[in-house]
Amino acid sequence: MREAYAAHSGELYGFAMRSLGDSGLAEEAVQETFVRAWRAGERFDPEIGSLRTWLFAILRNVVIDLSRARAARPRVAEGGIEPTVEPLEQALLSWQVEEAMRRIGEDHRRVLLETHFRGRPYNEVAAELGVPEGTVKSRVYYGLKALRVVLEEMGYED
Amino acid sequence: MKTDEWRHSLGAYVLGDLPADERAGLEAHLEGCPECRAEVEALAPVVRLLPLADPDRIERPAPQPSPELAERIATAIGGERKRKRQRRQRRRLGFSLAGVGAAVAAALLLITILPGGSGGPPEQHVEFGSLPAGIKIDATLKPHAYGTEIRMYVKGVRSGTLCRVYLRGPRGERVPAGTFTYRWGEDSEAVLSSALDLSQTQAIGVRAGNQTFVAPVQAGGATATAISKQEDLT
Repeated sequence: MREAYAAHSGELYGFAMRSLGDSGLAEEAVQETFVRAWRAGERFDPEIGSLRTWLFAILRNVVIDLSRARAARPRVAEGGIEPTVEPLEQALLSWQVEEAMRRIGEDHRRVLLETHFRGRPYNEVAAELGVPEGTVKSRVYYGLKALRVVLEEMGYED
Repeated sequence: MKTDEWRHSLGAYVLGDLPADERAGLEAHLEGCPECRAEVEALAPVVRLLPLADPDRIERPAPQPSPELAERIATAIGGERKRKRQRRQRRRLGFSLAGVGAAVAAALLLITILPGGSGGPPEQHVEFGSLPAGIKIDATLKPHAYGTEIRMYVKGVRSGTLCRVYLRGPRGERVPAGTFTYRWGEDSEAVLSSALDLSQTQAIGVRAGNQTFVAPVQAGGATATAISKQEDLT
């Protein structure tokens, strides 16, 4: 269980934070996920799926439970910002894409962020990075390929 | 341009970033290049997902749980483990209590009249052979000053079956070792006790429902002690 924690707690916490929007609740969700995994340990079959996928499936249920429990509690004015209410599947997918973007190489991430997400012209980004425009273009291409590989590793299937 | 050179433009193409003239040239190339067409198809799902991501969130460092979380989880799982163990022990106690009625009087009597059991034969493992298909019974017998502790594992009999356990003494007499109910899916180990000294035990028997199974016990050591009082109990 310690190995599983070392390998996956960061990601699980990241997703819990993304969907619950509260660090205390997110930690509660990760803790509950590992406790449930420990209880059901004998039912985990490595031939059916990866440990990571299994833990995420448990976390998904925990997040649903915690969200319901939170929704059932009377609201108290705290002056804080209400976390965005987003369908869970959408939140998971969006978190996966952001996490995959964080995992690809810095050069690839940089050009994708500047050109695609921020809409800057390729030549401007090329000048800023001090590389030919063709290099920016090929980094966009290899960046997308890397993103695909990372998403597949994270269990995404199209 | 060669295929390799066109290929480097595929990213910008699928993202819709290619100027019109380059796009027209690339599309003409795609007509005759199945490899590049396959690349376009492979990248399309990634392009569909990109709008879900927020660039500012991507650039923020991934949130990390507090360092104490690992310890809290270890404590929570430790608590679960302890509760599970206690549940198992309670079940075992439940099994053994059923047998206490008959055995305890003799056991108490013998504790006072027998010397300590230490130095006696070591514990013995007994496998029941020649059982009907699907049934498995084995037992571990451990010597004590009061007699013999029996840990019996049963598998494959009908759930709810009452099992009566006994030991057979040197003259063939039966010394009761208590009863337990076999429950399918529950912990199938029953902890029982009998007043018969392990060194005196010739065989162990269990009557499960209307069937009786017996397995011989190798008498160990020469520390035989007369247990004449036991005859009353058989």
